[in-house]
Amino acid sequence: MSEQVRPDEAAKALAQIRDRQEQVINVTVVPVWYWWAVGALMVGFAAAVDTRRPAVVGVGIGVFVIGILACTGWVVRRALQVQVRGGLLGAGGILLILGFVAVVVGASLAVAFSLQAAGVPGPALAGNAFGAACLVVGGPLLMGALRRIMLANRTGGTR
Amino acid sequence: MIKPRFDELIHAPTRLAIVSLLAASEWAEFKFVRDSVGLSDSALSKQLTTLEEAGYVEIRKGFVGKRPRTSAKLTSVGRAAFEQHVVALQEIVSKAGASVLPR
Repeated sequence: MSEQVRPDEAAKALAQIRDRQEQVINVTVVPVWYWWAVGALMVGFAAAVDTRRPAVVGVGIGVFVIGILACTGWVVRRALQVQVRGGLLGAGGILLILGFVAVVVGASLAVAFSLQAAGVPGPALAGNAFGAACLVVGGPLLMGALRRIMLANRTGGTR
Repeated sequence: MIKPRFDELIHAPTRLAIVSLLAASEWAEFKFVRDSVGLSDSALSKQLTTLEEAGYVEIRKGFVGKRPRTSAKLTSVGRAAFEQHVVALQEIVSKAGASVLPR
């Protein structure tokens, strides 16, 4: 049978294989809007807490919790349709995710504590705003890098 | 090193699409595979049964709450056959040179 398959047909089959695997990988990529939504919720939450008014803090906490649950629930529900093969992400991808979390949390705390030490008002809000900016800028970059790693690790590799 | 082996069962266009999807996943929901490949429920069931009978695919049926959920995964035998098939295809292309590489 393999002798009957023309090279151009084999090439088309390989292209189809890569495209189908890319479909699975694309489902696991967190959409750009998610990073903006989480960033906005973080800033809104910090701003509400900074007012020190119980009613505003209560509403801020409620909006934050509901918002995070709704956004994350949507992303998780989408991702539950298919579980991407662990080998696609590899150790490099996992390290990239852990590094991203460490940088965002570490940098946000550093900004907040530095501003607090300098006596600048609203250090928590500023720290959260910085963290949100990191998510908005870094989140899509992280997803792009993870997508490239997974595409390179799929059967048949990159094009 | 993976030994090339052309697999007629996998090479059929619909099954190639299904197996390619499953090769990138640990498991996939029936609905995801159906919508991705663009098949009806019965057509996908038929293809999955063929693959299951060959020992390439494992089908799991369960419930999430009260809703039935069917998922499929490539077995180790199926994954090995798929990888050998990909190598066989690559060999056919490489023997013909770069002129047939897909865009």
